[in-house]
Amino acid sequence: MGMSDETEVKKEAAGTGEEEARVGVFVCDCGSNIQGAVRCADVRDFAADLPGVVSAEEGKWICSVDFLNRMKASVQENNLNRVVVACCTPRTHEKLFRKTVAEAGMNPYQLEFVSTREQVSWVHRTNQDVATDKAKDLVKMGVAKARLLEPGEEIRLPVGQKCLIIGGGAAGLTAAAAVASQGYQVYLVEREKELGGLLNKIGTVAPEGDVAAELKATLVDAVKKYDNVTIFTGAKIENIEGYIGNYKVKVSVDGQETEFGADTIIVATGMAEIDCMGQFLYGEDPNVVTQLQLEGMLKDGAVQGKKKNVVFIQCVNSRNEQRGCCTVGCSVSVKNARAIKQADPDANVYVVYRDMITVKEEYVHLKEVMKEGVNFVRYDVEKPPVVQKADGSLAVKVYDVLLGQEVELPADLVVLTTGFCGPEGVSDLRGLLKVSANADNFYQEQHIKLGPLDFAAAGIYLAGSARNPKPMKDVRDEGYGAAMRASIPMTRGFVEAEGIVAKIDHTNCIECGICSKKCPYGAIKLGGEKGKTPQVIEALCKGCGTCAADCPKECIQIVHFTDEQLMAAVDAALEENPEKKVIAFVCHWCAHGAVDIAGVGRMEYPTPVRIVRVMCSARVAQRFVQHALDKGAAGVLVAGCEFPTCHYITGNYECKDRLEKLRKKLDKKGYDTSKVWEVWLSAAMGPKWVATQKEMVKALGLE
Amino acid sequence: MSEAEKESVLIVGGGIAGITAALNVADYGYKAYLLDDTPSIGGLMARLDKTFPTNDCSICIEAPKMYEVKSHENIEIVANADVRKVEAVDGHFKVRVLKRAIFIDEEKCNACGKCVEKCPVTIPDELDARIGGTRKLISVPFPQAVPNMNYVNILCRTGKMRDKGACVGGCVVDCSQCRECGVAMCVKACRDEGKGAVMLWQKDQWLDLKVKSIIVATGVKTAPLEKGTWGLDVYPNVIDYMNFERTMNSGGPTLGEIVRPSDGHHAHKIAWIQCAGRGEKGLNYCSKVCCMVAAKQTIITKEHDPNVECAVFYNNQTCYGKGFDEFYKKASSLGVRYIVGKPFDVTEDPETHNLTIRYEDESTGEIKEEEFEMLVLSTGLVPNERNERLAKVLKIELDHNGFFKEAEPLSKPLETAVPGIYLAGGATGPIDISESVAQATAAGMKAVSKR
Repeated sequence: MGMSDETEVKKEAAGTGEEEARVGVFVCDCGSNIQGAVRCADVRDFAADLPGVVSAEEGKWICSVDFLNRMKASVQENNLNRVVVACCTPRTHEKLFRKTVAEAGMNPYQLEFVSTREQVSWVHRTNQDVATDKAKDLVKMGVAKARLLEPGEEIRLPVGQKCLIIGGGAAGLTAAAAVASQGYQVYLVEREKELGGLLNKIGTVAPEGDVAAELKATLVDAVKKYDNVTIFTGAKIENIEGYIGNYKVKVSVDGQETEFGADTIIVATGMAEIDCMGQFLYGEDPNVVTQLQLEGMLKDGAVQGKKKNVVFIQCVNSRNEQRGCCTVGCSVSVKNARAIKQADPDANVYVVYRDMITVKEEYVHLKEVMKEGVNFVRYDVEKPPVVQKADGSLAVKVYDVLLGQEVELPADLVVLTTGFCGPEGVSDLRGLLKVSANADNFYQEQHIKLGPLDFAAAGIYLAGSARNPKPMKDVRDEGYGAAMRASIPMTRGFVEAEGIVAKIDHTNCIECGICSKKCPYGAIKLGGEKGKTPQVIEALCKGCGTCAADCPKECIQIVHFTDEQLMAAVDAALEENPEKKVIAFVCHWCAHGAVDIAGVGRMEYPTPVRIVRVMCSARVAQRFVQHALDKGAAGVLVAGCEFPTCHYITGNYECKDRLEKLRKKLDKKGYDTSKVWEVWLSAAMGPKWVATQKEMVKALGLE
Repeated sequence: MSEAEKESVLIVGGGIAGITAALNVADYGYKAYLLDDTPSIGGLMARLDKTFPTNDCSICIEAPKMYEVKSHENIEIVANADVRKVEAVDGHFKVRVLKRAIFIDEEKCNACGKCVEKCPVTIPDELDARIGGTRKLISVPFPQAVPNMNYVNILCRTGKMRDKGACVGGCVVDCSQCRECGVAMCVKACRDEGKGAVMLWQKDQWLDLKVKSIIVATGVKTAPLEKGTWGLDVYPNVIDYMNFERTMNSGGPTLGEIVRPSDGHHAHKIAWIQCAGRGEKGLNYCSKVCCMVAAKQTIITKEHDPNVECAVFYNNQTCYGKGFDEFYKKASSLGVRYIVGKPFDVTEDPETHNLTIRYEDESTGEIKEEEFEMLVLSTGLVPNERNERLAKVLKIELDHNGFFKEAEPLSKPLETAVPGIYLAGGATGPIDISESVAQATAAGMKAVSKR
């Protein structure tokens, strides 16, 4: 299909990769930090003689402004097209050096980082000869890889200013007004005939009891004042296809279809009560109602002063095997119990609960209603309450944990505080959006802590109770937040990927579709005549390498981390005395973080390990491990992020799975699989990295 | 927008809320000043071990954001600074910021640590003192600090650590007048390295900013307890839940070993008291996160060693968020005992330093006594102590608990009574990380929107 007409390619700098490699090596002393344990001048002289190297220099602090200028001059004087720096850690300094060589006219992706401080001088302080040899090895690996580095470029995908918002409840309305206020086109699609969502069904909003209708009016007015908002009510989304900057949407209202394009999507489809039919006489007796029904009754004045005995039963259909806490039930019950009691101080109101979850100031409300005479009865999950009907009247029987005895509460009205699920229609929608949701149809956010309003795929954002039930105040916050997430690409006018992306060579491609299926970001679309040819939408690719490692035909490469480049580093490390060395494929994020922490903490560990950095452990193909073993490595270690964290969503899980299969495969082929190790590290786990090195050395007989 | 006309937002507080707000407004195209009153951004989250309910390693997910802040062309970190004066002029704010000296040349220091090696004085760490954590008078705030550089303890620089053995302070010449320190070992160590980054003569700096909006993200802190409450600071093996978090952390003073402060031995039986800071004289609100923190801490403890007995005394199980109840169930399924009710008191065996807790068994009404090797107090969360001063400077209100007040939480969430000043995260009250992130993103939207 060809992305060229849609993709604007920003050439960062010159450098074609075709020309002969002219490598410059810069060895840092880091004062006495590296120089103390490693003879840096020897490393420099060693580097100067490596193939492809045209200049090698040593500096006291190569990150100092003086030396950076020196580096730039050297790039120009020696006509360098590759640079290797041997110093601290790429996690803190790679960007600085990339920027520096770019300023000198080199392609920044043709810089390779070697870590002679964190991986050598700070952790092997006792034997200068061994440390110096290791530093040389690392530089040799860096140069071998650098010679093969191709230029990279940042890739941009244009994004326009049209936003589809699905769901016209509080979250969707909030987001719509915030997006529209910037002048962007908003399409607001609501399933019901009327905007407002649950605000139409409830009378007041917990915890303070604000009037729902007033809030709804405020929110609807705030949206309707903009001409750039198109509202569809009673509408159904028939189809969505495409990706950020390029969605095609089809909406139908009463059978009439409308099609439009959108650049971003906000999903704010809210929640619905779980059906209570058949539980606690619900459906059998009209005086057993759900909390939402009670809201309607309170709005109509059908309870106040009319029902003398009201019993709330908490945690119906929640906090059980299927699902967790409904989040809002306690504060809603406190609010409604209070409304009933205040309207009729003689009413007997009981809340039968497991744990009263009243966070922050809600706790004050709880204390107040207790003072006002609402009764609270704690039940045990093993002995749930029972609703009985005798002589036409209802009663709730429950074992009161605090009293230590069973009580019978007469009831004119029983209110079931039931749990929530995603509303009808979410199942279809998640298919159209190609996003995931849990068993209750609450959508899966990109990261539960740091990406609550994003989906894994760029361009789609999430707000309000569509993610999980939450109080109105939080729904409002999230509406604004999701608007911000969607507004960023629309305001910038593009999304951008770093140059480290997947490239497919279709020569041997068998169109099996594995790459597309495995991509956690939906960045590989299948197209072409048969709709099976994989195409990378480079601006959406994050460069994890899952596709490249799992492609059965080895057609996919990751820029800056190609098979050839990585294996060149492995070969360089194993050129001499391979039987004394361990090759470690280490992910750039947490695992490398742990390696760095071991360095910062000056934790001494054995020297055999030679680290080959990859962005994600998912990049490590089975063939890499086998290759290192074939070259005679004493052992191979794969280090990725500690579960469940992964900076590419599930890369470490993919890797672990692959390693298990690899061991079986290698075993069949007659390899010694005890040489293949793995470790999963958090960025704080320097000590575990060290312990692993010690264990490996011992197990592999390298002491 | 050209650089000259680029609008700016000031974000006060560099924890996860401030970081999120800064990244969002900066990606949107605004300039963000991210101010923190300590020498590093990162806030509380940078010091946690894990995050509930997935047990993601906290610094693993936060550090990449911190680096992103550092390298973002639209963000300027203003560390170790306070907002001193704010004036609203023509829809903007003129802000005076005091950037307190850290006695380090930020351009030159790269935290190589040579000065730290040479510093003669070790002091208790502010956060980790109770579990044996120490630092030098010159040190990096924590290993992943951003900006990554050392800072000199102000007490040392002003000569107040002289009696503890500090080399600085006995000199007759005022540092600010002298550039040739022959006394300070840190200055010498850095010069010997060829850097000259330690400069005890560095002065405080005043910065003047003009910003369109201000986001207040000052966060929360662990609630302190009066000495002796539940034996805290009297019995060595009674610690608070932040101390325990640091004990679990590989980056903490015990390198992640769950050991007792009294003897450094692994603890085999540990109790948690929830709502330890609530009560007549204590907090009058639920701090929202402590139940899940305890669930997390017991699960991690069990992961370290399944044979460690864990018991949690609690009132109501606050498992109000996505995956939270499941997390609590996971703790229970691992054998963590949950006991309803608040204990009466705690006493210590002076020889073993074990702790005896007296409590009522709710199911039988019987008074029981049980011995534990370590006790963790979930004390709750309180506002940052600088809120009061900041509220005065910004002319906005605090609520009766000392958190910042949203003027109209439902109709104008995250807004204060002053147009253009917004709130996010723990500044508004106890909150978890994901809510902080959502709020910070929302506050970012408001900060860049027309008003």
